[in-house]
Amino acid sequence: MLELDHINTFRGPAHILRGVSLTVGDAEAVCLVGRNGAGKTTTIDSIMGLLPVRSGKVAFKGRDITRLPAHERARLGIGYSPEDSGIFPDLTVAENFQISQLMGASRARGASASGAETDERILAVFPEVKEFTGRRGLNLSGGQKKIVAIARAMMLSPAILLLDEPFEGLAPVVVNRFIDAVKKIKGMGISLLIAESNLNTATRVADRLYAIDRGEIIFQGDPKSALGNGEVMKTIRG
Amino acid sequence: MRIVNLAHGNLYALGAYVAGWILGLFAGPGHEPKMWLFFLLLSGAVAVAVAGAILEPTLLRPLYRRAEEYQLLVTFGLLLILEDLMHLVWGPYPLTSSALPDLLGSSTILGATYPNYNILVIVIGFVAAVGLWAFVYRTKFGVILRATSQNMRVASALGVNVKRVYVQAFTLGCFMAGLGGAVIMPISGAVLGMGVEALILAFVVVVVGGLGSLEGALVGSIIVGAVRTLGITYFAEIELAVLYLIAVVVLLARPAGLFGRA
Repeated sequence: MLELDHINTFRGPAHILRGVSLTVGDAEAVCLVGRNGAGKTTTIDSIMGLLPVRSGKVAFKGRDITRLPAHERARLGIGYSPEDSGIFPDLTVAENFQISQLMGASRARGASASGAETDERILAVFPEVKEFTGRRGLNLSGGQKKIVAIARAMMLSPAILLLDEPFEGLAPVVVNRFIDAVKKIKGMGISLLIAESNLNTATRVADRLYAIDRGEIIFQGDPKSALGNGEVMKTIRG
Repeated sequence: MRIVNLAHGNLYALGAYVAGWILGLFAGPGHEPKMWLFFLLLSGAVAVAVAGAILEPTLLRPLYRRAEEYQLLVTFGLLLILEDLMHLVWGPYPLTSSALPDLLGSSTILGATYPNYNILVIVIGFVAAVGLWAFVYRTKFGVILRATSQNMRVASALGVNVKRVYVQAFTLGCFMAGLGGAVIMPISGAVLGMGVEALILAFVVVVVGGLGSLEGALVGSIIVGAVRTLGITYFAEIELAVLYLIAVVVLLARPAGLFGRA
């Protein structure tokens, strides 16, 4: 589905990602775990095309997308939910959804779900969305913003969702609720790449896990072996 | 779209010049004035829209990542270049065409004679304002436009071709400027310096109304228009001073303008 091959990414003069390689398979939930500043967001931004990759290759469904602009990647079926949710503050929730609906519809994809189906799928995951579709982005709570960001990305009928810190700042009860949501999304056959700083949360949702530190992948494997790996635990917990 | 375009004043003037020139070709001496000539006013708007579609990707796009001062410098430079270009092409004398106001005649309102053309300008202004509002708030493109101006990164990650939206928005803005210049031309002529004058007034309008707000622009322009007209009638000497005083008061009380967000 998604493959990063030794990518190097800079932010200004700073060399952030150093030869990062990872893969996400079909309908697989993969977590990218690391401390703040480890390179998680930079990895997501590099995949989405929001930051230029200096060298290495990003491939999606076998196609090289390293030099493709962000909007074309989105239209190929990469959904994105940013760390700060990135809700358009002056637009209503319905209008926030409309953007990706329009873009999803403009994509000629044979297997793409129709608008109505997409709506149903989103309501299956986040039924509460119905209650605040008329509200402006600015008036949403932090948790609602996270819901809207994920639902909005799903409106594109994506093949993969990139979620940047989807559980950050949520109350523990709400985190459980989001973990269920993520599992449901996965059950729909959508792959997930989740950036997460909390290793315990990551192990609850991930099929597979990568640990990143200082822009390098220092571990990959299943959640259990990550928890059993003292070095990984130490690096991530600091 | 967070573009502060100082050249907008002379894009407005360009609309006036193009419309004046084209009207001169078809409505000059020896031509019988006809109603279809009104459609020639659109030539000014279209010409400026074309200029906008060329200017945005070439001059403005490279500057979005830089500090806003660069944008101000480049668009101010463009303002001066346009001024000289119009001087070069159309010479130092004003372009006028009274064919259109002559066609419409005048009416008597409350005992005063008022040119019908001026009423038409008010109607065009009203229609343009409502049309623009509907376009921005009631169409799919409007949603995309507002989203892009609020968060360009996220818009692009949702599949919006941000570069294209910028060209379209800027072109639309230029179309409106050109239309404004074109419809005002039969009243005040196309004159060198009209762009700078309009720019200064527009500056007061956005300071009062708030940058990036359509309602603010509407309310601001009505305030500025009313104060100017009253000023010219009752206190002509300090008319501009009063305008700036209003701007100063608004800046002190609401730094983001009446409808702007800080």
